[in-house]
Amino acid sequence: MAQLQARFFTGNRKYVVDDVPFSIPAASEITDLSNIINKLLEAKHEVHKYVEFDFLVKGQFLRMSLVKHMEVENISTEEVVEIEYVEKYTAPQPEECMFHDDWISSIEATEEWILTGSYDQTSRIWSIDGKSIMTIAGHTEVVKDVAWVKKDSLSCLLLSASLDQTILLWEWNVERNKVKALHCCRGHAGSVDSIAVDCTRTKFCSGSWDKMLKIWSAVPTDEEDEMEEAANRPRKKQKIEQLGLTRTPVATFSGHTEAVSSVLWSDAEEICSASWDHTIKIWDVETGGLKSTLTGNKVFNSISYSQLCRRLASGSTDRHIRLWDPRTKDGSLVLLSLTSHTGWVTSVKWSPTHDQQLISGSLDNVVKIWDTRSCKAPLYDLAAHEDKVLCVEWTEAGLLLSGGADNKLYSYRYSATTSDVGA
Amino acid sequence: MERAGGARCGLSSALRAEAMEEHDQGSDGLTDSEESIYSGLEDSGSDSSSEEEAAEDQDSGAEGELKGGSRSTAAQARKEQVPGTSRSVESGSSLPLLDEYEEDSSDEEDVRNTVGNIPMEWYQDYPHAGYDLDGRRIYKPIRTKDELDKFLEQMENPDYWRTVQDKLTGADVRLTDEQVELVHRLQKGQFGDVNLNPYQPAVDFFSSQVMVHPVTNRPADKRSFIPSLVEKEKVSKLVHAIKMGWIKPRKPREASPAYYDLWAQEDPNSILGRHKMHVPAPKLRLPGHEESYNPPPEYLPSEEEKLAWEQQEAAERKLNFLPQQYRCLRAVPAYARFIHERFERCLDLYLCPRQRKMRVNVDPEDLIPKLPRPRDLQPFPTTQALVYRGHSGLVRCLSVSPSGQWLVSGSDDGTVRFWEVISARCMKTLPAQGVVRSVAWNPNPAVCLVAVAVEQSILLVNPGLGDKLLWGATDQVIEAYEPPEEERLQPVTWAVAAGTEHSRGVRLIIQHGKPVQQVTWHPRGDYLAGVLADNSHQQVLLHQASRRWSQSPFRRSKGQVQRVLFHPLRPFFFVATQRCVRVYNLLRQELAKKLLPNCKWVSSMAVHPAGDNLICGSYDSKLAWFDLDLSTKPYRVLRHHKKALRSVAFHQHYPLFASGSDDGSVIVCHGMVYNDLLQNPLIVPVKVLKGHAPAQDLGVLDVLFHPTQPWLFSSGADATIRLFT
Repeated sequence: MAQLQARFFTGNRKYVVDDVPFSIPAASEITDLSNIINKLLEAKHEVHKYVEFDFLVKGQFLRMSLVKHMEVENISTEEVVEIEYVEKYTAPQPEECMFHDDWISSIEATEEWILTGSYDQTSRIWSIDGKSIMTIAGHTEVVKDVAWVKKDSLSCLLLSASLDQTILLWEWNVERNKVKALHCCRGHAGSVDSIAVDCTRTKFCSGSWDKMLKIWSAVPTDEEDEMEEAANRPRKKQKIEQLGLTRTPVATFSGHTEAVSSVLWSDAEEICSASWDHTIKIWDVETGGLKSTLTGNKVFNSISYSQLCRRLASGSTDRHIRLWDPRTKDGSLVLLSLTSHTGWVTSVKWSPTHDQQLISGSLDNVVKIWDTRSCKAPLYDLAAHEDKVLCVEWTEAGLLLSGGADNKLYSYRYSATTSDVGA
Repeated sequence: MERAGGARCGLSSALRAEAMEEHDQGSDGLTDSEESIYSGLEDSGSDSSSEEEAAEDQDSGAEGELKGGSRSTAAQARKEQVPGTSRSVESGSSLPLLDEYEEDSSDEEDVRNTVGNIPMEWYQDYPHAGYDLDGRRIYKPIRTKDELDKFLEQMENPDYWRTVQDKLTGADVRLTDEQVELVHRLQKGQFGDVNLNPYQPAVDFFSSQVMVHPVTNRPADKRSFIPSLVEKEKVSKLVHAIKMGWIKPRKPREASPAYYDLWAQEDPNSILGRHKMHVPAPKLRLPGHEESYNPPPEYLPSEEEKLAWEQQEAAERKLNFLPQQYRCLRAVPAYARFIHERFERCLDLYLCPRQRKMRVNVDPEDLIPKLPRPRDLQPFPTTQALVYRGHSGLVRCLSVSPSGQWLVSGSDDGTVRFWEVISARCMKTLPAQGVVRSVAWNPNPAVCLVAVAVEQSILLVNPGLGDKLLWGATDQVIEAYEPPEEERLQPVTWAVAAGTEHSRGVRLIIQHGKPVQQVTWHPRGDYLAGVLADNSHQQVLLHQASRRWSQSPFRRSKGQVQRVLFHPLRPFFFVATQRCVRVYNLLRQELAKKLLPNCKWVSSMAVHPAGDNLICGSYDSKLAWFDLDLSTKPYRVLRHHKKALRSVAFHQHYPLFASGSDDGSVIVCHGMVYNDLLQNPLIVPVKVLKGHAPAQDLGVLDVLFHPTQPWLFSSGADATIRLFT
């Protein structure tokens, strides 16, 4: 098999070539195909700058020679192959490296600032260009998760959840660069591993090691909620621990039989929670009921939901990233699994702007960028970390962030918006 | 006959011409009937169908009239009586009849014998031959001819050959030429009638040729083109019967083999079959050097050997001959023992054992029990997921919190470290003065206490991890202890930690006089047992944490105690000494059972969460599985490790157990215990986990399962703890 009939097409008008079948060598790889397209474009346009392309055959990225790919994917070599080409995603450019004092447990970033939670019991605010702006200390234990509630030019609201079983709601005055603990959310009987703020920015949800999910109000008030068990606690202890006004949960969801490791809002009134009991449960906040359960066979570390493709990605205590459709009623349906990591996948995050790309961090010290059209091999490996990667983040501005047990927070500039987005 | 009658008339007419004339009618009937036969033959063409249909009387009358109509008045008269019939006959065949009359002689007698059709022998002795129509006798013609007359007549009469005697009347009749001709023809087998052509051309009315005109011009019947109702009824009946299964299709003929093996079914064990068994004849020994005519000198016996050989009994001799040396083959004399040897050979054949030695051919594969594939027994730990680094000495002991969130480890570097399981983060480090031999997290989820065996004391540590309420409550319980009024005599001293130790989490210190080897909690979490490195009866001590009360349960030492263990459900206490495991009933305070693992030195012990099975690891690299209900001997002994076993562990929920060994490997086995007591436990080794680097001849020192997940922790001499998932 020396030659193959192939027809090239693209969604990007800039790089359209004639829709005629070409006979190309079967063993051609991406670079060969890219050269062909560039030659064609040169012939068509007078002025053409060399562009590297990536190729998709039946929705799957080409990562080996064409004939081998077709053999693996079971595509007939007798017919004309339809090859889609897109401009190659440029590799993420490393930008900053932010040094922490201890392991980084969580990241959440806005357009301007990055909020990180660390094992040194503090949360930190960084600017996008890597300057430390603020260190927020207040927890008595490891900060497990952080979240922005409200981003304003004057004052911001942010949350930090900790192993000390509390969630603190902070107000950060940007101008004066002061933070103040507004509320101390008490109620969990275990370390709070995950928090998520809803789209209206008025309430948030937390998942804890005590198997519970709790919904809290994120609106700062001047009143203090009454703690039910405050009476039987020694008074002086309470005084010491108190930082801000006490807040109690609005609602509590119980149903998991093991620790809740990750929560997120998949809709205005819908929560997804992943747990150590090998399930992802979807809850209706309004009724407080369980909507459906997706059952896996490993402990879940992290889940992420994409509004664009409406799919859940999960990282669990094995090497695979699994994609789920949360709308299936029967659950237990893995759409796809992305396998390339060699350790537990600790953190996954969908791209906020691209419906097919996600980022994952793993215990094998590597951060990988994935495209769901290429589930065998990731688009890029980011192997900067020297120890376990614990958290990853992908901002809308195209900034990739990863933090890990080597106390470093790396940021990368990556644009997945080149060619076929929206095309 | 008519002619004969005519010939005979010469005799009879003279006698009774008148009488015959008178009784024409009657006699005519008789002759007529006879004649009718011939007339039929002669004039078959002339007979008409109407004549045949006539009655007997009329017929005979008509015939008579035919022949005798012109010659006698009586016949004339009768002809007039039946004019219709005769006339019609006459008109049909007038010409031949005329001829006949012309030739016919009128003198023909008309004698009728009325005796009927009887054998004429009956009239042999009578002069008459019968009776005529009037009842008068018919006399036989007088035959006085003797032989000579007969001869003369024969000679003289030229017609003699054609003269026959009419038996009925006794008259001689001369046959006419036609009659003779007829006889000839009949004799030849030809038809009597000359004119009859037997080979007339056949006319095929229905031939293969389709004619223009139909054979019949009759129009086709309606029934020929309307389906028959009767047939329809028949068919429907048949169809119904087939539907109801009354009529079945014909069975296919069974294919019986044309040939068969006559001996196929024969039993090989039958009498005949036994003869088939072939017993090979015993083989003769092959000749050796000593039998040579010129043996090597070492085969030649010396003088003493010769003497000894001669003095031996014939049966005792090793060789039944003496090797001898000859100069050349020619010099070898005749073999004197030839006949003797042949006879012995015959005896050998005759006395050779006739028993057949059955050699069993067993495939060794068949002897291995069929075990399920490990892939089907998932989940079990397969890969190393996390490494907990931080210790600087070998990590001797591990324990995990009941929730599975925290792990505690004790090391030779004199520290106890608390780890977060999921992230391998060391949350706390507790320095201890000396080697930490054993750690045990309190199994009660409502209590947050860790027992740590350091040197000569057991520390009860509150790690301050997990739910704040819980560890706060634990501290409160410990603080709220009020000592009893009277001081009790105890083998140990209880001390409350203070100062820096208290701030590090140590709450109580139980000081022993001897180094503490092991500490273990009762499943309820109040009692704990400690093992001391001692040979006295106070090797094992039981402590009650809530009352700070210790006691020595044994009065006498039964050997060096290696490990102790509480039964997870029932009040039993396992004590492993070097060679055996004793099971004590704590309620009745007596020895319940003594298990013999059949190994040299027991190193470790773990009990199944259901409590009926116990595994026991030993330094001679054996793992013994005991079914406590079954026997005091091991149900199964596994020898998978190459070096001494240091630790064994059961999983709380999954049917898994693991063993860690000095060879640096951990072997995970599937150990399914069935609720059905009749079913034996299923033990399948599923995975060898390697990761620990052996150091100082030590490999894995402790193994432990996660309480909820199928994960395995192992601590090794390389100062790491590894998590396998």
